Amino acid sequence: MSAERILRELSRLREGGQIAELVSNGREFVIYRGVPTGGSRLALPEMTDVIVPVPAGYPASPIDLAGLPVGSPFIGRTPGSQNNQGVHCVGGVNWQLASYHPHSNGGGPPWDQMIHGFHTYFDHLISWLERLV
Amino acid sequence: MAGKARVVNSDILVRIGREEFRNLERLLFRRYPEEEWATFAKFGWRESSQGLVLTLAEVDPPKLGELDESVGHVAIQEPYTLRVALAAEKHSLAVGVLHSHPDKCEPRPSSVDDDMDGYYSEYFSTFAAGRPYASLILARMHDGEIAISGRIFWRREWLPVSRFLVECQPVKTWTRQSWVVDGFRERTARLASAFGKRAAARLRTSSVAVIGAGGTGSAAIEVLVRAGVGRIVIVDPDHITESNLERVHGSHPSDIEQRLSKAALARNHALAIDPACSINAYQGAIPQSEIVDAITTCDLVLGCTDQQHSRLALSDIANRYLVPSIDCGVALEGKNGKITGQIVQLVRFLSADPCALCREMINPIRVAEELMSAEDRVVRQAEAQAAAKRGEDPNPYWQGVPQLNTVGYLTTMAGAMAAGYAIGWLTGSFDPPFSRLQMNLGAPLLEVQEVTQEPRSYCSCRRARGWADQGSADALISAPAHWPPAHLVAW
Repeated sequence: MSAERILRELSRLREGGQIAELVSNGREFVIYRGVPTGGSRLALPEMTDVIVPVPAGYPASPIDLAGLPVGSPFIGRTPGSQNNQGVHCVGGVNWQLASYHPHSNGGGPPWDQMIHGFHTYFDHLISWLERLV
Repeated sequence: MAGKARVVNSDILVRIGREEFRNLERLLFRRYPEEEWATFAKFGWRESSQGLVLTLAEVDPPKLGELDESVGHVAIQEPYTLRVALAAEKHSLAVGVLHSHPDKCEPRPSSVDDDMDGYYSEYFSTFAAGRPYASLILARMHDGEIAISGRIFWRREWLPVSRFLVECQPVKTWTRQSWVVDGFRERTARLASAFGKRAAARLRTSSVAVIGAGGTGSAAIEVLVRAGVGRIVIVDPDHITESNLERVHGSHPSDIEQRLSKAALARNHALAIDPACSINAYQGAIPQSEIVDAITTCDLVLGCTDQQHSRLALSDIANRYLVPSIDCGVALEGKNGKITGQIVQLVRFLSADPCALCREMINPIRVAEELMSAEDRVVRQAEAQAAAKRGEDPNPYWQGVPQLNTVGYLTTMAGAMAAGYAIGWLTGSFDPPFSRLQMNLGAPLLEVQEVTQEPRSYCSCRRARGWADQGSADALISAPAHWPPAHLVAW
């Protein structure tokens, strides 16, 4: 994992007012705090924390997947979240990963590590949490 | 650098890119043969248990009036020093001074040089705290070759530079004791008669890393050892299997029974050919830290894995650590029992070349599948099957880029060619006449073609060149945490 690169990306997010942190439980993840959702129209919270695993070999491998706290009202409503991709305990919280693959034929642009990163993945998370069913 | 091993021996290397070296030569010998000249420069560095490696990142030449032209020796004016020192507060690189000596002078530090180094090492320890300070001297010898000496002030100690490695160009290293001794051996007499005795001697003092000890790598290793290369670093994570016997030089059925690693097999075979060759065999892969430590001590590296993550890592190492490399790939294409393509590809990675991303040689999805843990791979493949059953696109889960077919004569040819070009670089005899070569053995005139690509203006390979560990935020790839630790293969 390239911690220096990820921290640089997260600091760019912080400059824009978005908090995200690099955490580890033996495997590395980024937790985005208070990501805006489209929940208000469904009487759901307007923000939620989201976890994203750091892919093996990052930044050579595309960022993939996204997760919510187990029991989150958004599970089953965000695209791919009905398809459980595993539960991970990180920072004392159990997170359930969803089948969300924006850079792997999943609707987003092909991965280009010179353009994309955890700072741009935030945009995909907003989109993901907006498209609630 | 937290958690890094400290330098435990005095193996201090300085690496310089080919373009920078040419520019340096022009700059530092501008008043040659009578008088000296100097410049400040920035260096990346990497510290490991194998030593300290400095990489020339950028020359910061003097502006008009910043060196005193009225004297023959180097007289740096205070504004130049201050400019470099203030800039150092804004970057993370090491600082150093390089200067030339006039005709008929060895690159031995004079008492004036001692005074200058004493002053600057203390001065820059304020502005560039916790970083090495480098002092290098270049001299032209009577045979026209460049000789370099150097010393590094690091952790309050002066350490002599034990070797200078200029990208694809042999240079002489001058040490405090003497010239680095060249060796010559009768067994390479035929090579020496073609390339010259000096070339044969240079091979003896050279070191080459070979990444991958399969069909291509084992052929390259054999050629290099027989040519008299003094030290080979062999890297491979795998064990030999029965299907390898068709390609891997030196492999025997008994190796499979012993469950021998490919690295150990290659080491044993190399030592059987030349017991005097120094072999460091690692079970591991790039870019694991131990492997990068070993590679950065070598003159050059050959990539013989035909895997995209390895290619990307080689490209990154060439760029940030100034280690030149040649990457080999082979592919056998066929249909209905007919062979339609027998492809060999050789790619040169120099620090100034476009990286593997700029050259569009990397498919990130394939890289992700190569780097995934075995457990994740099983899950992804199952998810893809389930998606297909549901009538959905399985590709987001698993694309399963197939393994390329290959055959022993192709891998041997590719490995031997790469080793030949390595010998050309090590001896200064010839350069690969391509940056990326493809040929098809089954096509008329082999369908040889050069594939050229320009670097992308926004790629990090344009800005992290020579930055070594200080450019780690711009690394193109990292070693997956699930890989077993790399280790030297035990006897």
